[in-house]
Amino acid sequence: MAGAGGFVEADNAEAIIARIETKSSKIESLLKQYKPVEALKTALEGSPPKTLDERCKSANWIVVHRALMAIKDIEGMLNALDVEYYDILMKYLYRGLSTGDRPTCDQCLKIHEKLTDRAGLGCILRCLTDTINTV
Amino acid sequence: MAVVDVHRFAESITCHAWSPDLSMVALCPNNNEVHIYKSSQDQWERLHVLEKHDQIVSGIDWSSKSNKIVTVSHDRNSYVWSLEGGEWVPTLVILRLNRAALCVQWSPKENKFAVGSGAKTVCICYYEQENNWWVSKLIRKRHESSVTSVAWHPNNILLATTSTDGKCRVFSTFIKGVDTKDPKAGSPAESKFGEQILQLDLSYSWTFGVKWSPSGNTLAYVGHSSMIYFVDDVGPSPLAQSVAFRDLPLRDVLFISEKMVIGVGYDSNPMVFAADDTGIWSFIRYIGEKKAESSGASYSSQFSEAFTKFYGQSKATTANEASESSKSRGGVHDNCINAIVSLSKAGSPKVMRFSTSGLDGKIAIWDLENMEEELGHQF
Repeated sequence: MAGAGGFVEADNAEAIIARIETKSSKIESLLKQYKPVEALKTALEGSPPKTLDERCKSANWIVVHRALMAIKDIEGMLNALDVEYYDILMKYLYRGLSTGDRPTCDQCLKIHEKLTDRAGLGCILRCLTDTINTV
Repeated sequence: MAVVDVHRFAESITCHAWSPDLSMVALCPNNNEVHIYKSSQDQWERLHVLEKHDQIVSGIDWSSKSNKIVTVSHDRNSYVWSLEGGEWVPTLVILRLNRAALCVQWSPKENKFAVGSGAKTVCICYYEQENNWWVSKLIRKRHESSVTSVAWHPNNILLATTSTDGKCRVFSTFIKGVDTKDPKAGSPAESKFGEQILQLDLSYSWTFGVKWSPSGNTLAYVGHSSMIYFVDDVGPSPLAQSVAFRDLPLRDVLFISEKMVIGVGYDSNPMVFAADDTGIWSFIRYIGEKKAESSGASYSSQFSEAFTKFYGQSKATTANEASESSKSRGGVHDNCINAIVSLSKAGSPKVMRFSTSGLDGKIAIWDLENMEEELGHQF
């Protein structure tokens, strides 16, 4: 994957980062319209878990972080989110918790609690054991 | 509830196996011995203690036709025990392993047995009449890590293995002189010993507990990431499905019919999975009565304490789940269940009774006699 894909990865990475930029502007506009749930959904869609490139992951994390911090109604947000996004959201929550930044951690903890209620401990397990598709 | 009998045999049970007439059970109480208990009038009486291994006995299997017990241990050895004059007499099997043996199973015809080991190999052992001993042939290729579980296909040749490298593989274990080539079935690939027929890369984490369905058409195994994998039409173009579920991971599975599987694991409560008419597998229910559905979090008291500490910082108030202890979750077992064994005749299409053993030292016997309605038509 890393070997022959060295050169291809770089190209691919640029394309992904460009996509993330477009996503970012879309999210900004959604947030201005007070639609934080939509914003988070957009941010989580097309998360690049299969890229090895750290820059893509960081770029996407910044976008997701922006949308996460804007969420006030957590229950509502989880209601609107499809079940398949629970695992990815959980991974981003753990990334947020690892930053150590107080407001981020507060927000992530609040969401973590509600998400665990819904998705169960299995969701946390999948997040911890998956060392290949990391965010 | 479907539980017929529960008995605590020891502090903790590693593995267990039943005698052909289901009156005796051989178990390892988490040490280097194998204890054989017989049930008589609701009392369990210890009949034999088999002491030959130096380290923990990790696998026991009791053949139903030839009445032999095979045990494997972390001491890299295996013994085949035969009953002679009321005493169990061991025969050492030289496995040629340099790491612990982790699991063992007799083949359907009971002329071979397979041992999975931490040496990334699988040993297939067969009896050589001329020299009156058991010979072991190793499958050395392919596995990148410990082999956690092995399962024989009903045709006595194909063997499925799961490993901590996350993959499930199917091998051919055809041995000239022991197996007869089936003229109608099998491609040339199937008749070479150690040939890998199939590799499944569905899981990203350790895999355990592989089993074949009664007809040998479907394969099921679990991953440590709270997922269970089903593979239909095992062969050149298999149909694989990954089912993610809410709770803690499973350790072992059992097919109770062609379309229904019971999984046991860290939740201490067996889970039922079934395939609907279109062939899609999903989680149906816990086998015991489950209280309030996913609306309330059914944490055990242990977890809710931990979570209160964890969430305490963010000043969010959690509904107090401390009252709901793990026992009320339908709890027959108090701790992880690590083995599930069928109590029906080998090769029968439906399993009506099975037993589970776990780290709490209990063996529970479950009967599905009156549960046909509850479980649905797939049973």
